Amino acid sequence: MIELHGIRKVFNAGNPSEFTAINGANLQIAENQITVLKGPSGSGKTTLLSIVGCMSRPTAGRVHLNGREITSLPERFLTDIRRKTFGFIFQQPNLIKGISVLENVMLPAYPLGEKRSQLRIKALAGLDELNIGNKSHSNVEWLSGGEAQRASIVRALINNPSIIIADEPTAHLDSKLSYRFMEIIEKFKAEGKTVIITSHDPLVYDAAIVDRVITMRDGQIEV
Amino acid sequence: MNSWIEKQRYIIDFTLSSLLRRKVKNIGLLVLYTLIVFILASMMFFTHSIKREAALILKGAPEVVVQKIVAGRHDLMPIEYLDTIKKIRGVATAAPRLWGYYYDNLVKANYTLLVPPTQTTTTNISRTTVVENEPNSQSVDLTKPLYEVNGTKLESGTIIIGNGVARLRQIAKGDYMPFLSFDGNVMNLKVVDTLSAQSELVSSDLLLITEEDFRKLFGIDKQFVTDMTVVVNNPSEMPTVAAKIKKRLPQARPIIRDEILRTYESIFNWRGGMMIVIFSAAVLAFVIFAWDKASGLSAGERREIGILKAVGWETSDVIQMKFWEGAIISLTAFFSGVILAYIHVFFMGSPVFEPALKGWSALYPNFSLTPFVNIEQLTTLFFLTVLPYTVATIVPIWRAATIDPDSAMRFTGD
Repeated sequence: MIELHGIRKVFNAGNPSEFTAINGANLQIAENQITVLKGPSGSGKTTLLSIVGCMSRPTAGRVHLNGREITSLPERFLTDIRRKTFGFIFQQPNLIKGISVLENVMLPAYPLGEKRSQLRIKALAGLDELNIGNKSHSNVEWLSGGEAQRASIVRALINNPSIIIADEPTAHLDSKLSYRFMEIIEKFKAEGKTVIITSHDPLVYDAAIVDRVITMRDGQIEV
Repeated sequence: MNSWIEKQRYIIDFTLSSLLRRKVKNIGLLVLYTLIVFILASMMFFTHSIKREAALILKGAPEVVVQKIVAGRHDLMPIEYLDTIKKIRGVATAAPRLWGYYYDNLVKANYTLLVPPTQTTTTNISRTTVVENEPNSQSVDLTKPLYEVNGTKLESGTIIIGNGVARLRQIAKGDYMPFLSFDGNVMNLKVVDTLSAQSELVSSDLLLITEEDFRKLFGIDKQFVTDMTVVVNNPSEMPTVAAKIKKRLPQARPIIRDEILRTYESIFNWRGGMMIVIFSAAVLAFVIFAWDKASGLSAGERREIGILKAVGWETSDVIQMKFWEGAIISLTAFFSGVILAYIHVFFMGSPVFEPALKGWSALYPNFSLTPFVNIEQLTTLFFLTVLPYTVATIVPIWRAATIDPDSAMRFTGD
């Protein structure tokens, strides 16, 4: 269970360019559900998602993860939580060029110092599951858009996180690949994972598998 | 512990693949870095070994040399000074020496002509010299003269020449070498041997000649010699004996061996220093380049750090990665540079520095230096090259630390 209380996020505070991205958001996200944050561009979806995923801190307010207050934790602990609890799927695949798909997928597990042979098996199994096992030794620049997206999904799952966070995952995918993505998300739910997605794609927020849709506008959650 | 080691391995692996991804840039840097270390290390190896070599050879030089000074200039010395010197307490033996310089107009080089001690009136030298802290087996046998004659007998009309002279004049054993004497006559002297290559540093331009030929060549009367060498009973009494000589013979100038060693030392230090000044510009250019390369983060690198932090890398992991990056480049450059310098100086005879650092005339000595590496010097070089670069690569930590992990989420281009 993720609880947000009075979340505010202000960028460039004190400057003439000060901008309030989120203004007093209160929210509870249940476990083992697919939650979609929808809204127009600039409504604060990505900012809220980055706060939920321990990627940035709110200017004000508190975040509780499974009852534990995490907003005030030092960076080290926050990184540890992020690494073990969350898996991130970005709008762009954000793969590191010049290294293989396998290496990219294994990257989040490096700081944990897991045994290489085990990690390799896990990464290859993940790639096989999403039908890109044959590309494991290719450099990422040779992948198609859909393959790169799937590689980034495998990377998000490498540390076996309980919560998957996806920011506009279908923004750069065609309909066929978007449907394929939603199938993968359905599998996550079946495995007992919590999924939080930001999207303004009807194919995502209107999907039958989505449990809850939260609408955002101007940095606030619409009730 | 195992997971910590595994983590370091992962980070090093990733660092290596990062370095390989920017191949051209990093190889360029590595080459330049290696070149700088190579130049500095070569200079260090060279000056240190040559100083050591010179010191070892000069250990066999006379303890005290006495010259006669007239109007502040070195003058020929009357042979009767010898008796006065021999009578001084503390003097074991004294011997006259005949030597001088000859300018060869043909090759525009100066030779040093010396009459070997056996050719003059020297008696058998009995010594009680004790040399403290005698280095190792490489040290020169003190009973041997400065030059090696290999038992070849020097007779009137013959000479033994140094290797530098032989090379320059392209002559060898059996050839004749013409000399123009003081009265304009030509003297043709036969080369009967060349000097040992071992002592070439100081004997490259040396010519051994008989007393008779020497006097004929320069027109020096029998009652004069160039200077005298003195062996003292107790080496620690050298300055006292020198003072006594000065007192008895006010026109004499005694020079003790330590003073010669000191002069050589300062000459090589000066030469080494001169090279350092020349290369300091290159070093400075490298420092600026390395600092720029190491401390600056490109847009691609910033994006990468953003991604790494977003997928769960801590700031300290990124720091470690940058540390390994700096360490790999600087250590590779350091060891390659030092090894190349070692080969350059000790196996190839340092062709790069030869003209600047060896010898002081048209005759450059040609000899291989005894490999000698001073740990203290290597440590200094390490701290001068590896440390600044590694520190410079750590600087981006502070920048990396400021990259928010959510920057990867905001990144929309590819």
